[in-house]
Amino acid sequence: MAVAGVLGRRSAASRLVEGYGQELVVLGAIAALLVIVGTVNPRFLGENNLISMFSGNAYIAVAAIGMSLVIISGHIDVSVGSLIGVLATIAGTLAVGDYPIWVAWTVPVLVGVVINTFVGALIAYFRIPSIVVTLGMLSILKGGLISYTAGTWITGMPPEFFIAQARLFGIPAPVYFMVVLTIAMALWMRYAALGRAIYAVGGNPEAARASGLYPERVCVAAFAMHGFFAGIAALLFATQLQVIQSTVPPNLELTVITASVIGGVSILGGTGTVIGSTLAAILFACISSALVFLNVSAYWLRAVLGLLILATVLADMARRRRHRAGRL
Amino acid sequence: MIRTSLIAAVALSVMAGTAWAQTWTGGDDLPTSPLACDATPATAAAKPYDGAEPANVPDRKGKEITVVDVPKLIGIGYFNATSKGIADAAKELGNVSVKTDGPTKANIDEQITFIDNYITSGVDGILFAANDPVAIAPVLKKALSKGINVVGYDANSTPDARQWFVNQAEFNGIAKALVDNMAKEIGEDGAFAIVTSTFTTPNQARWIAEMAAYAEKCHPNMKWLETVEAQEDNVLSFNQASTLINKYGDELKGLFGMTSVATPASAEAVTQAGKCGEIAVVGLATPNAMKPYVEKDCVTSVVLWNPVDLGYAAMHVMRAVADGALKPGATSVTAGKLGELQVINGSEILLGAPFTFTKENIGGFDF
Repeated sequence: MAVAGVLGRRSAASRLVEGYGQELVVLGAIAALLVIVGTVNPRFLGENNLISMFSGNAYIAVAAIGMSLVIISGHIDVSVGSLIGVLATIAGTLAVGDYPIWVAWTVPVLVGVVINTFVGALIAYFRIPSIVVTLGMLSILKGGLISYTAGTWITGMPPEFFIAQARLFGIPAPVYFMVVLTIAMALWMRYAALGRAIYAVGGNPEAARASGLYPERVCVAAFAMHGFFAGIAALLFATQLQVIQSTVPPNLELTVITASVIGGVSILGGTGTVIGSTLAAILFACISSALVFLNVSAYWLRAVLGLLILATVLADMARRRRHRAGRL
Repeated sequence: MIRTSLIAAVALSVMAGTAWAQTWTGGDDLPTSPLACDATPATAAAKPYDGAEPANVPDRKGKEITVVDVPKLIGIGYFNATSKGIADAAKELGNVSVKTDGPTKANIDEQITFIDNYITSGVDGILFAANDPVAIAPVLKKALSKGINVVGYDANSTPDARQWFVNQAEFNGIAKALVDNMAKEIGEDGAFAIVTSTFTTPNQARWIAEMAAYAEKCHPNMKWLETVEAQEDNVLSFNQASTLINKYGDELKGLFGMTSVATPASAEAVTQAGKCGEIAVVGLATPNAMKPYVEKDCVTSVVLWNPVDLGYAAMHVMRAVADGALKPGATSVTAGKLGELQVINGSEILLGAPFTFTKENIGGFDF
């Protein structure tokens, strides 16, 4: 990248802006929203509401970590919502089926990894575009789930099962999951060989191959990890309430993809961070809570998110154009 | 520059939102018909019988009859409860042999096949809960043409494909039960909010409009804070209910759940906010989803109808039709222990006031 050559002459601040531009924008938007709505109604900034906002949407942030890996590696997964629905149902079924709680917690994560490893292999080795494979998965998982459960809810899970309702120092467990996983993955993406390989392959698979990487293996690895995060997200999702709906949460895949994209992950692959996607998930939570505080219909959330996507993609394209211009 | 415009866009949409505020209640604009504040039933508007008549019916008066009950699906708690009611009534009547049979998933094609087979095998009566009001019509008409009595319950067909339909609840009845229970729990001057599916869902919009009309008539001092949408989404319902609790603080005394998804999610939000006993949750829901909250005393009243009574009434209606006791133009029918049930909308029989599940009775239901 052209930036690399001039980095030395730039100040730390401008390097931060260059490296984390979109993340800073999202952070700014969160701050602006908190200030504006907090001024209108101070209860918006009350401890309870902050906890509701951070905790209620943490599963989206966790799922968006995996989604970011997949998108950065140059692919996409539109089946994640169905997968989370299926994994949550598996967790609930095991929990009411007298299995030990640790089984109900680990099996869904493993199943998520297995399913998505398979998906990744189809994409990498059979060279089927990821959108096609995951669209197929979306239908298979959704149809399978509805036929299997007939929409019956799962209730009566043992109290220990509800990991998302646990609190430590007054903060709900999902917040810890979100923060710890985001930081761990941000570091891993930056410093681990495989993490860097994901960027390389997503940016330019042929160049990556020429420099000794195996794009196929990287793709499978990215999907496998995505399955892991989908599993964790499904657990947080399933244990948040006393009832598991055992259907596919509506539009969840779109929300997760939107979080990644607004967080600065380029839909074309190769750039972005998981910090951005987590911040974007928090931004959604703030917006959706703000809509209630301002008596605005929840339907505006979709409109606002749509607006944000367009703005972000435009910004991304503008950035790319600037980089290309810089190289000339 | 683009970043600035991004922030501006968020800020603008938020501000545009404030300008829009406080216009919606979530109800529709159709005329409402609030019930009397006491337990007086509504006066039925006279409407001519619009059900069908079977052809060449043999005289079944007082004779032993064979009836088949084909619900939407079998094996789930709700229809187990209706078929229990049907069997109870048959046993009580003593001159009916009844069997429940149907698809294992709510599939209209399979349901049609089941009904068709029973027409061929020869029954005197068919009870049904339709998976699709239009698609089921031809096979029911075929049954009528063979002299079989056809009565629906729970989910109607088009009126010309059956004789009578047992209607579990009318909109104004549900609205009255909800608002009365809320008033009882939070007092006549309490403030409440509503969690609904969407403002355009017909049933919910109808209920809310009827609730508004009834509250205005019978509980004029209750304060209607806000209605929020949560689709049929568990987690969104929970988040919306939590946000309402955070937004109104101590002012909020009650939450209405308008769907079987929103009610347990609202109860969960109240539980997790540690507000059990301070914020009442009243809503439409199925007993199983509400048991944890009712048992913990977080929720005291869950409004729905009693499916056992629904099946029981349907069986009695079937017997009355076979005996010739319930004829077109009748204004009521006797249904065993349920007493006189009112005829409404031409060819429907109203089950009566909705049923309120409480800590005392909820354990007896499994659906």
